[in-house]
Amino acid sequence: MSKRQSRMLEKGKISPRQAGELLVIALNATSILLVPSFTVKQLGQNAWLAVLLGTLWGVVTLSLVYWLGRKHPGQTIFQYSQTLLGRWLGKAVGLVYIWNFLQVVAIVIREFGDFMTTSFMPNTPLSVFSLSLVFLAVWSVYAGLEVIARMNEFIIILVISSLYIILLLSLGNWDLGNLQPLFTVQFLPLLKTSLVPEVWAVDTVSFAVIMPFLTRPKQAFAVGTAATVFANGLVAVGILALLATFGPYFTVIPRFPILTFVRAINVARILSRFEVLVMVVWVAGVFIKTSYYLYCASLGLAQITDLREIRPVVLPLGIIAIVRSFSMYKNISELETAVSSTNPAILSLYFGIPLMLLLVTWFREKFAQG
Amino acid sequence: MANAFTFLKKILIRKKQSLPPQTDKEEAAQKPENDDTPVLSERLALIKKRLGESNDVVIREFNTSRDRVKLALLFIDGLVDKKLINDNIIQPILSGTIAHDYAEKITADNAFELIKKHVATASELSQVSNLTQAIKMVLSGDTALFIDGEQRIIIFGTRMWEKRSVDEPVTEAAVRGPREGFTETMRINTSLLRRRIKNENLRIETMKAGRRTATDINLVYINDIVNMDTLAEVRRRIAAIDTDAILESGYIEEYIEDVPFSIFPQIEHTERVDKAAAAILEGRILVMTDNTPFMLIIPTSFFQFLQASEDFYERPFAATFLRLLRLFALNIALILPASYVAVINFHQEMLPTSLLLNIAAAREGIPFPALAEALLMESTFEVLREAGVRLPKTVGQAVSIVGGLVIGDAAIRAGLVSPGMVIVVAATAISTFAIPAFNASISLRILRFPLIILGAVMGLYGVIFGLIIILIHLAGLQSFGVPYLTPLVHGTADDMVKTLIRPPWWLYTFRPRLLNLQQQRRQAMNIWAPTTPFEERELAHEQTSEQDAGEG
Repeated sequence: MSKRQSRMLEKGKISPRQAGELLVIALNATSILLVPSFTVKQLGQNAWLAVLLGTLWGVVTLSLVYWLGRKHPGQTIFQYSQTLLGRWLGKAVGLVYIWNFLQVVAIVIREFGDFMTTSFMPNTPLSVFSLSLVFLAVWSVYAGLEVIARMNEFIIILVISSLYIILLLSLGNWDLGNLQPLFTVQFLPLLKTSLVPEVWAVDTVSFAVIMPFLTRPKQAFAVGTAATVFANGLVAVGILALLATFGPYFTVIPRFPILTFVRAINVARILSRFEVLVMVVWVAGVFIKTSYYLYCASLGLAQITDLREIRPVVLPLGIIAIVRSFSMYKNISELETAVSSTNPAILSLYFGIPLMLLLVTWFREKFAQG
Repeated sequence: MANAFTFLKKILIRKKQSLPPQTDKEEAAQKPENDDTPVLSERLALIKKRLGESNDVVIREFNTSRDRVKLALLFIDGLVDKKLINDNIIQPILSGTIAHDYAEKITADNAFELIKKHVATASELSQVSNLTQAIKMVLSGDTALFIDGEQRIIIFGTRMWEKRSVDEPVTEAAVRGPREGFTETMRINTSLLRRRIKNENLRIETMKAGRRTATDINLVYINDIVNMDTLAEVRRRIAAIDTDAILESGYIEEYIEDVPFSIFPQIEHTERVDKAAAAILEGRILVMTDNTPFMLIIPTSFFQFLQASEDFYERPFAATFLRLLRLFALNIALILPASYVAVINFHQEMLPTSLLLNIAAAREGIPFPALAEALLMESTFEVLREAGVRLPKTVGQAVSIVGGLVIGDAAIRAGLVSPGMVIVVAATAISTFAIPAFNASISLRILRFPLIILGAVMGLYGVIFGLIIILIHLAGLQSFGVPYLTPLVHGTADDMVKTLIRPPWWLYTFRPRLLNLQQQRRQAMNIWAPTTPFEERELAHEQTSEQDAGEG
């Protein structure tokens, strides 16, 4: 039943490469903006170590999710949680993940709106950005996973190449002495920072939703790992560049250090003050991330409620995300504090539940054999 | 939004199906069995009734010697080769050929077979069994021979009419490459293709569409390359066309495209023979329509509109440069005015100070906001362009002079627009002309206006918002099962590279992968390796040693 249903809900297939690219955008779209400031605040010059450690946790999450996907081919996490835990408990687990994906959508929307209103268009109300972004996301989710993946192939070139160009142009501002002293960090704070969802590559958990729609699901782990390493490597390099340019003290002063970083670039007095272009490219990345997570949430809700189509739930979920994005935090500082901390609930969401599901699968197999 | 599209599509399809049934009179005329007869005099009366008193319908009655058999020829004057009819049909029947005096031997019993096999010397000949079929063929330029008392009708291929000679393609001029373009005559067009592809697998398949125009439509493809599923789909969609008239390939394009309500063209058309031949060799299907030089190429991806046939004749470096230039022009044409308005209104800090001061000084006396200025200038340009297109050349020049003066000088002096805006509009206009395909560039020109408005309302964020909407639409589009944005999206690395740059010909080893063809490979590998004298010696040495090994 479930296999046929998943085929009905999503007819398209995406290639492993496209899935990897989606993961890169999901990781990089927000982390490049937020991660530098709070990791440097917590760890100083060694912030990039936390990002590398976070990559490791991301790969661990990915491997759990990957093995679950391999054990239950053609099923998403919303489906195999039901077969493993029974109908109602499984649905409850599914709901938790749907809520999580919606939460990500809401945070991204809020972050994006705050970023726009504080940095570029202070007179424009926040709702303009939330509404327009969710409008685009809903429309693209209507179009389906395949279309989102195809758009992303286009957008990822812009996003990644612009990041590299920025790094290249900023070389003149670097002072490598700022990176010292290296490796002067204790393990526990490092571990704690690396377990913050933004640093920990938690987006890999979304593979639990899209793995059945891959043309070659076996390659999911390879492309997922490559994408995680690539994306977080870029963040680590970004942090290094920021530290080299500003030093640990001045990196944490601006709210969005990457913007200051771009503003500081001045090549031959012609290429200067192009942070707006960075914003433009970043909007494209955020749009893909929003669409991707809204898609995951919508697909999950449709599968849990046994709908034949994904369409009816997309718009309501989008509206919930908008409302949630307003009510979640009072202001950008609160959001920042929330994003830069971790808690056991998150640990269980990205590590505990997948591990538990995998154990149940394993016990069931043993039981059936015995 | 996507819902709305499917809804409108449904309406469209319903409309297509609800074409009113033909009137009783027409239906009666369509049923030949009821009123066909072998008797010649009655048949001729029927013909006169059905074709009416048109002065170009010619019925030539004649008898064989001693009035043994009555015969009649039916043809349309102006569509036939009269000399051919005289020399190869009428004369042999009346007086026999040089070798045999068949004229004497024709009797009522053997007339049909004898004329068909021995007497008539026309090269193209067939037979039909009823009047309706015969009339259909006569209306397309054939000649029908009716024999008294004989149900079957002999049809001679005598088509010949005034036709335009093969000319240079006007809409797709090229610096280098063949100067031949398609004409309005199907036979000439097929011959142009045959001359280029001398391959037994080249297929030219005929279909008809249009109840009244009965327009010939040819599907041209190479049998062992083409994707059969795509071909079947093309056939199915063309066969589903049920309309009164097909006068141009544009009609067919709109009937068979995937998303009728898209602003982007989903099927490319060409007037150039070499381009059509290249498309066929690449595994695409060419849809030729009679009476128009514009041929459709199926399936199409967006980036084909940015390629000119010349790209493949020039040296790779030049062609690559031109290709990238066109890509740049595409971006300029779409977003430059919108970005200018956005930067002027919202992001002044992006401009270097001296430039900003200049622009601000120039804009000081302008009564309009930048948005109004942009819309005014863009509309003026569009109107001028449209006015210039259909005028005779001499008057057209006057329009462009007046337009140039109005846009360039007078408007600035009068303080209506700023010089910066004039530069932007001019750059945009030139960029639009750099895109080879008119139908693609016009959709970009239309999209420019909403983008300008978005840029004025929300700055660069508005521009990117509009671009993302366009991207959602484009990413969802397909042309006969092939995603519209291939190969830049969804394609293999090989195809992707070939879109952005134009590698040398010896690297075109494979045809586009996404077409899913029967034969992907188009040439041998390694043919580029030039052999130096040294290598030749090595090769010769290897060969001799192989021979030795074989003998040993």
